[in-house]
Amino acid sequence: MEGRILEHPILSFTRQKRVRIFFEGNEIEAYEGESVAAALHAAGIKVLRYTPINGRPAGFFCAVGKCSSCLMEIDGVPNVRSCMTKVRDGMQVRRQHGKGDLV
Amino acid sequence: MKEYDAIVIGGGPAGMSAASVLGDHVKTLILDENDALGGQLVKQTHKFFGDHAHYASKRGFEIAKELTDEIYKKPVDISTASTVIGIYPQNTVAYVKDGREELVRYKKLLIATGAMERQLPFINSDLPGVYGAGAIQTLMNQYGIFPGKRFLIIGSGNIGLILAYQLAQTGAEVRMIVEALDKVGGYEVHANKVKRLGIPILLKHTIVKAMGDESVQGVVIAEVDDKFGVIPGTEKEIVVDTICVSVGLIPLTELAEQAKCKIEYIPELGGYVPVRDERMHTTNSDVFVAGDLSSIEEATTAIIEGKLAAMQIVKDLTKTDLGKEISDELKTLDIFRSGPKSFKIRKGLEKMGIKVPEIEVPKLFQTPIENAKSKLHAVIECTEEIPCNSCESSCKFDAIKVGENINTPPIFDPSKCTGCAVCVTACPGLAIFMEKLDESPNATIGIPYEFLPLPKFNEKMWGMDKEGNYVCDLTVKRVVKNPNKTNIVYVELPKEFVDDVRHVRYPKKESPFVCRCEEVTLDQIEKIIDSGITDFEEIKRMTRITMGPCGGKNCKMITLGIISRKTGIPISKLSHGTSRPPVKPTEFSAFLRGDEK
Amino acid sequence: MIDRASVVVVGGGIVGSAIAFNLLKMGMKNVCVIERSYVSSGSTGRCAGGIRQQWSSSMNVKLAMRSVKLFEQFEKEVGMNIEYYQGGYLLLAYTDSESDDFVKNVKMQKSQGLDVDILTKHEIKEKFPFINVEGVKLGSWCKSDGHANPQIANIAYAIAIRKMGGEFITHTTVTGIDVQNGQIVGVQTDNGYIHTNTVIDAAGFESPKIGEMVGITIPVYGERHQILVTEAVNHFLDPLVINFNHNYYVRQTRHGSLIMGQGDVNPAPGEDIGNTIEFLEEMSEKMVRDFPIIKNVHIVRQWSGAYDMSPDAQPIIDESKSVSRFIYATGFSGHGFMLAPAVGEAVAEMIIYGRTVTTDISNLKMDRFAIGIEREHNVV
Repeated sequence: MEGRILEHPILSFTRQKRVRIFFEGNEIEAYEGESVAAALHAAGIKVLRYTPINGRPAGFFCAVGKCSSCLMEIDGVPNVRSCMTKVRDGMQVRRQHGKGDLV
Repeated sequence: MKEYDAIVIGGGPAGMSAASVLGDHVKTLILDENDALGGQLVKQTHKFFGDHAHYASKRGFEIAKELTDEIYKKPVDISTASTVIGIYPQNTVAYVKDGREELVRYKKLLIATGAMERQLPFINSDLPGVYGAGAIQTLMNQYGIFPGKRFLIIGSGNIGLILAYQLAQTGAEVRMIVEALDKVGGYEVHANKVKRLGIPILLKHTIVKAMGDESVQGVVIAEVDDKFGVIPGTEKEIVVDTICVSVGLIPLTELAEQAKCKIEYIPELGGYVPVRDERMHTTNSDVFVAGDLSSIEEATTAIIEGKLAAMQIVKDLTKTDLGKEISDELKTLDIFRSGPKSFKIRKGLEKMGIKVPEIEVPKLFQTPIENAKSKLHAVIECTEEIPCNSCESSCKFDAIKVGENINTPPIFDPSKCTGCAVCVTACPGLAIFMEKLDESPNATIGIPYEFLPLPKFNEKMWGMDKEGNYVCDLTVKRVVKNPNKTNIVYVELPKEFVDDVRHVRYPKKESPFVCRCEEVTLDQIEKIIDSGITDFEEIKRMTRITMGPCGGKNCKMITLGIISRKTGIPISKLSHGTSRPPVKPTEFSAFLRGDEK
Repeated sequence: MIDRASVVVVGGGIVGSAIAFNLLKMGMKNVCVIERSYVSSGSTGRCAGGIRQQWSSSMNVKLAMRSVKLFEQFEKEVGMNIEYYQGGYLLLAYTDSESDDFVKNVKMQKSQGLDVDILTKHEIKEKFPFINVEGVKLGSWCKSDGHANPQIANIAYAIAIRKMGGEFITHTTVTGIDVQNGQIVGVQTDNGYIHTNTVIDAAGFESPKIGEMVGITIPVYGERHQILVTEAVNHFLDPLVINFNHNYYVRQTRHGSLIMGQGDVNPAPGEDIGNTIEFLEEMSEKMVRDFPIIKNVHIVRQWSGAYDMSPDAQPIIDESKSVSRFIYATGFSGHGFMLAPAVGEAVAEMIIYGRTVTTDISNLKMDRFAIGIEREHNVV
């Protein structure tokens, strides 16, 4: 549960079912209902991709599907907004390097 | 293709309140990109300003739930996880749900797509760890994930202030808020909530760059001149792992543009906004707008705008006579926008031809509080004119008066106050405290408290002042838990500090500075007292406390409080040194007579 | 409070404290200091803290040189850092007669083994370029002079005294001294009675009142001197500078603040320790003229204190002829702090050995006034 808020003075968080997702092949803790970006952040992963032109690390900015800063390769598909994609059991998530490979 | 009388795009406060009205009269569809309705309200944990009819004192996520529950009771088609991708000819809306295109037609369309966060370009602003305020709220309040450990917040508008407070509630360390202007942007009460936690707001400062290789490890800030240029030599490095950008919102106008609504640049309203009349009708006769898309404002006004637009749509479609309802909503909007903080909105709307009257706020006179001091009573520290009367409506005893114009700061009649403290829990600005000041050397104050862990009876805590500085040690006497999570911690403290203490916190391991000028810590003073030296004058000489340029204006009382606490001698019995001129540091040159002689 | 002591020191300022400390150090038990207020509440807490050896009489020079030795060991011996700094003393002469005096004094001081020199105007300018030397004839410069924080030193003594088993009683006033057949029996205070046969009057400008309690007259009176302190600035001023002609002294503390004062033109005798605006005006005028760089430094506080003036501006240290074991150490005339360690040692020796051993202070006895007074010149 590292990185997750267990007790909060105002809110209570009831987490749904635990699922297994894999980041660069390694299992990451995640719960149903969480976005990929959120689950990765909870695991301390902030760099979600490296940019196409300058190769700079990038993470999310808006986290609500507006800014397209959080594009990742999810289950083999590049350019997926990781902040708007919910985790699924067995999901394979990879940092996207550049523009994303189709083949 | 399915056809609706009305389609609402966006399930935030404006869209929800609209759909709710529409559902009663016409065939309605509401579309939202997220899994659930609520928009940004779902991640707002603070209580909202306003009046009883407009969710005052309720927290954002609670308002979201009420509005959502209401819609689900009505014959409204609701489609979440539906991303609208375009508005097409013949009144067609295209959206994607479950990876598939869907098309629907409307007679009337209400676009309530809200806004997105402004980015701020600075060096390395693309580095992971530079997040928008909304992103941080999403992580922490929606997913329950710690967004980081040490924060710098850029921007002191309400969002930045609220965010700082919310971060502190998760136990994060907010190093500071930087603000390029020379005054705080948001409400005073929100700023006070943050300042008493010890989070400084640095005015006339900006971010120069973020530092770090793969993600943020620090930040360089600097002072700015009147033209917002960085003043060379004022740069400072600060260690943070997250930089939060809250420099405003940009209306999301794409869909309105595609619907052929006229768009104009009106910076007071947030930038490019659809032109519309006072009833939210755009230049396209079938299209209405509401909420942040039409002007960046509060959720409260978004809710009213949604209702207003919906009523107008109903009126247009069904010829139902809603004239009175509409004029009531218009009046309410005027009141919410009549305060000094809405100056920009009024100016912006005027550019669009919508005149919002500036309603003079009556000056009410506060009844002297002296006679009521010895009983437990409220202390209201709300002086700014903001549209809110939640204190008045919470008081069952008529002790608080705001009056017809809800922008009027409350006045308080101590003789009617029963000490029930309901107002303390109701006030969205957490600007009401309880106080009892009788003959005993100790006073009692009640402080709204929204942190964990909740203090317990007889626990020793620190009393902190409005700026978050240590004032004195105090003892918890009673903790009143409230269903709305604004709990009240009653503490006992030497009565000299009753006006100073506005927050309590658990003692920190690192010692707080009692004297800023000479950088003397609580720990240093306590150690000297523990060694047997208890005379203020001797402690002063050993630590230099009160000997700095400020002349001990603040630290003297605090030191006397520490001595009193440790020795058991009441402050009134302690000798407190001598005040020496000059009271303010004065240059030698001030005393030069020059040629006069 | 204790009811019996081998010695009662009246006055917990630097002189009384130094005496008590030395008594304890030399092995005496049941030493008691009585201070009417808090530690350093009197003249000690108000003094500028200069420590110099450049005096016009040879005995003063010797006593001061001994004091400097003890200040050098203070931290080790007494147990606290008192911000002691040997940045030197620079005395400025503006007239021919002043210059002659300086030259004469330096010669005498050198004969006592003091490392002291005459500086030419040019040398002063070179060494301290920030001083406006207009009108200066020459200077007298001793680099082992210096300064310290008198308040901390006073408190350091008090803490040491308590640690060594002595009593240091504050907020207690001596109201009477019982004498029977020329012998002291005890001391009455407002907090109780203490049996003792030895009393040391170290009450500064109040010492005549204590003397009266045993029927002796001590020719000491209070004289107000004003002083001010500035905000702290980075270190620039090594020496304490005395300018007799312009009537001021100035030093920079280790903390960085500048402490400076003057002798009032017509000092009012008495205990009035109020402040005047004229003081700030006079000081600003001359300090900015002589030290232009401090023009925009902020003054943060002014205060005043009373010198315990004696007729010749030199201390009076003696045992009463009429009352046995009534010893007085007073009349320090503005240089009690700098002499205290050596005086403390000498008086302790007088009590324990019946005579001074380390430093001869016989020139400070009361009977000198019967012979005729020559006033110490080097006084601000």
